Amino acid sequence: MQNEIHLQSKSRLKDYEPVVGRSSLEELKMLAAKFSGKIVQIINSTFVGGGVSEILEHMVPLLNQLGVDARWNVISGGEEFFEVTKKFHNALHGNREKISSQDFALFSEVTQRNLNEMSFYGDIIFIHDPQPVGLIAQKKNIGKKWLWRCHIDVSNPDKKVWKFLRSFIVDYDAAVFSAPNFAQHLPIRQFLITPSIDPLSDKNKELDSGTINSVLAKYSLISNKPMIVQISRFDRLKDPLGVIEAFKMVRKGIDCQLVLAGGTATDDPECTEVYSEVKKQAEGNTDIHILLVPPESDIEINALQRAAAIIIQKSLKEGFGLTISEALWKSKPVVASAVGGIPLQVKNKFTGLLCYTVEGAAYALKQLLSNPEYANRLGQNGREHVKQNFLITGHLKNYLLMFLALDHNSDVIYL
Amino acid sequence: MVDWLTDSWLWLTHNWLHVVVPLVVFLATYVVGLWVRRIAYRAFNRWAGGKWEGSQIVIQITRTPFIYWFLILGAFIAIQISKLDSAGKILADKILASLFVFSLTWVIVSLSVKIVKLYTGKVPRLQTSENVIINIIRTAIAVVGALILLDVWGAPTTPLILLLAAVILIAALSFRDLLANLYSGFQLAQGEQIKVGDFIKLESGDSGYVTDVTWSNTRIRALDGNLILVPNSRLVQGTIINYGRPLKKATRPFRFYTRLYLKELTGLTASNLGELANMLKEVPDSVIYYHTHHFLEEHHYLTPEPANDFALWISDELGDEVLGEKLASINIFDFLSIDALRSRIEGVITDYLSKKPEERTAREGREFHFIKSVSFIMPTSYVAHDLREFVEVLRQVSIDSLSYHIFEARLKLKKGVNDFAIWIEECLDDKDLAEKLAYLDPYNYTLEGLRSTIIQVIEKRIK
Repeated sequence: MQNEIHLQSKSRLKDYEPVVGRSSLEELKMLAAKFSGKIVQIINSTFVGGGVSEILEHMVPLLNQLGVDARWNVISGGEEFFEVTKKFHNALHGNREKISSQDFALFSEVTQRNLNEMSFYGDIIFIHDPQPVGLIAQKKNIGKKWLWRCHIDVSNPDKKVWKFLRSFIVDYDAAVFSAPNFAQHLPIRQFLITPSIDPLSDKNKELDSGTINSVLAKYSLISNKPMIVQISRFDRLKDPLGVIEAFKMVRKGIDCQLVLAGGTATDDPECTEVYSEVKKQAEGNTDIHILLVPPESDIEINALQRAAAIIIQKSLKEGFGLTISEALWKSKPVVASAVGGIPLQVKNKFTGLLCYTVEGAAYALKQLLSNPEYANRLGQNGREHVKQNFLITGHLKNYLLMFLALDHNSDVIYL
Repeated sequence: MVDWLTDSWLWLTHNWLHVVVPLVVFLATYVVGLWVRRIAYRAFNRWAGGKWEGSQIVIQITRTPFIYWFLILGAFIAIQISKLDSAGKILADKILASLFVFSLTWVIVSLSVKIVKLYTGKVPRLQTSENVIINIIRTAIAVVGALILLDVWGAPTTPLILLLAAVILIAALSFRDLLANLYSGFQLAQGEQIKVGDFIKLESGDSGYVTDVTWSNTRIRALDGNLILVPNSRLVQGTIINYGRPLKKATRPFRFYTRLYLKELTGLTASNLGELANMLKEVPDSVIYYHTHHFLEEHHYLTPEPANDFALWISDELGDEVLGEKLASINIFDFLSIDALRSRIEGVITDYLSKKPEERTAREGREFHFIKSVSFIMPTSYVAHDLREFVEVLRQVSIDSLSYHIFEARLKLKKGVNDFAIWIEECLDDKDLAEKLAYLDPYNYTLEGLRSTIIQVIEKRIK
């Protein structure tokens, strides 16, 4: 089928045993056995770029290894369609966006085209994010179980956009959100499942010092100078300009360097514009390094995170903010805004420091740079927290449980 | 015919000495043989008769051949002093040597077989391998005997020996693991270090009861019911803990279950204390359970003292630390049902509101979301038949399994006591241990701390 990807597994299920323990894997296998003969069809908008595709890239092969017939398809869109969905994305986050009736019409037109072109063969059809949400129209023809996974915070959305999307969402059997405060009141079942990181992926696996040093050398970074790193797409909602401002406040008193490293995604045309603004803001300051890294640079991202003294994530709005879990998994102290799913990952003063403003971010950075032992303790707690709650094996377990829950209404289910 | 007889008589009358002397020597050797056998067997009987049970076998097998060997010796001496030409003597020597080698081979084979049977009959684990051992010994001795016979008759044995050595070398290399296992099996058999019925723990962490020990491997019934086949060489070379014989068997085995949970939004939210108290009356039990227990699993590494979500929200979001503290200090272990716990939480809030009616409201987006836990309960493959197995399984099960049997069974499934205590009392009739586990307040520990504490309590009992 067109727009279907067949992924080769990079890690074997058995490789996770030293990380999560044998009993957790046994539980996963027992759950997976319940899906014998069923197909889980996963649909989103892109195979590359962004947190969603990153999770699916690791999750689909693992589901297959567990014996679950999971297949991943993407819708076809085009530049104009993705510009519209980007506006939807920003509007759902509560930003003001000019969205015309032509935009809605284009969304409906592309949705209809995909409905005509795509095959819907799954017993469970699992739609991710707003771009393919309209595919639910097919439910009246084929039935089956339909799930909508919302990866973004829709607690304070643009009413017009939400109303438009809601008309599709209410036809699903259930919706999934990353945090309770992300959700909206809906007449369907709503589950809470946090996203996850893969501890064995290139982005999170252990690296030797040679690899880390070679990446630092490639980007002309000084290895013995404390490094503050923010990893995220060049997106206004990640507030890269705010990070530069906070860094300048810290740099007045402490010798350190800042790295803003990010990629691009095929469904986010705004990235290039923001990247130019950030470059301009950093101009002339040799301690600020703006790195545009392509999607396949996972090892480099990993190396930058491991080389960092502190990881910062000063988002103004956030879906879940997986870069936080990535940093915590590497036992790094984190300074992050208390938005979106970040407070679920950073328990203030236990697994990192939360902030609300540029000044607050600068203050937290100074605290951690001046107290390495405290920073180290936060990092260690953070790793435990991620191990318990935000690894891909737990995520898989939750998805399998949710698929099972669709057939039961009780609060206690005996399998 | 008459001529031939006459010629023979004439030859005898002229050479009678050449016939009589060898004959006398032959008979004399026979008599000496009888005498030597008597003396030697008597001495052997005195030396080994009381000490070694195989002595009668040696006597029984060698008694007759012993005389044959003296007859062969007598014939050899007689031929050497006779007037036989040298070619005849060489041929006779070869025949006698062949007879000797043949009889000696037969004696060694018979002796080995009887002695092997004597020992394998005493060690049950060796009985299955008896035929294999006997055949190996028979073949080895027969090959050596055949090589000696060939040498006696002047056949070239060096290439054969080389070929045989090569075959043995190749076989030894190909079956080196098997040989190592056989040797280790022998060591185990000798030392009786591991016996059927022992509970052992391997270096790999696998543990279970030994169900069979053969020459090459040892079978263990693992805690998840699987059979583990361990090569004997691994047992001899590695570190194993042998806990010895089984403990008292339970009247019914303990099947470990696990509970996985999924968070589901109820759609209910509260912005202030009044709303919270009202909602508390209505929400399902699974909501109360979730908000008083999820911290245990999600943040169990941080603190053994679980804060319930109501207390945290009131302190952090409404800024009322006094009420927050009152709620946080509710000891969940004091309650045997969720309804009772619900009434207490709601009662504390209502009472507080009646004395201090001023209401604070949470910021927008910081409302209290009522979440329920949907529990999925399923059996694991782990089963314990006694306390030893129970402890070993407890080391391996996930914290989900531990939570299910300790927290969920007691409160959400309304059993009032944790599953472990119930099983130990009902199926092992150990009231004392059951009581200790029943009164252990699990809310005072981190989950891993709870696991080790339960293990310690039971291990103390086992010792």
